Amino acid sequence: MREYEIVYIFRSSFTPEEIEAKLDRYHAILTRDDRGEVTAVEQWGKRQLAYPIRGQTNGYYVVTQFSADPVIIAELERVLKLDEELLRYLIVLSEGELPIPSSMGEDSEDERPRSRKRRDDDDEDDEDEDDEEEEE
Amino acid sequence: MAFRKSCRFCDEERRVDYKDAQVLERFISDRGKILPRRATGLCAKHQRHLGSAIKRSRYLALLPYIRGYHD
Repeated sequence: MREYEIVYIFRSSFTPEEIEAKLDRYHAILTRDDRGEVTAVEQWGKRQLAYPIRGQTNGYYVVTQFSADPVIIAELERVLKLDEELLRYLIVLSEGELPIPSSMGEDSEDERPRSRKRRDDDDEDDEDEDDEEEEE
Repeated sequence: MAFRKSCRFCDEERRVDYKDAQVLERFISDRGKILPRRATGLCAKHQRHLGSAIKRSRYLALLPYIRGYHD
């Protein structure tokens, strides 16, 4: 058994209930005969796509963590590929962290003072950087 | 940058997460290209992870392949 993570992008015209039904169907493949286990499902909901996929500008994102035998992945993918309403999916080995919502707020606060500090600290340093970039 | 001892991800002990588009956003150019290490200030390991993460993120339409292309 290995830990995996899958990101689904469904057409945004679906209701959460319809998505739920689809997920149940997919996850049934994983859990059938105790071959795998779904450990977490996180619905991101509707989100704008960075570029259109099959004419769609929005997608409904769902992230799922599960553990399963590698052979089951092929089986799951076979089903996912046939689903026309699934715009895209990505299965990757889980990096061992639970799906956490973006903690960006605190992070950008972190970043800004730091870059400001760097600039204040040492003006000469900045000039050096510019030179370096031109050389390369 | 010569004074930067270690990279952001090392400092904060966080992983480069392909799902976190807001973080990755800072490491791409205004056209959507992955910034070089001299601009990101990351260590070799995390710059490598960053590249993979941005590519995954693009596939999931969380980040654009080329910014401004579809506008």
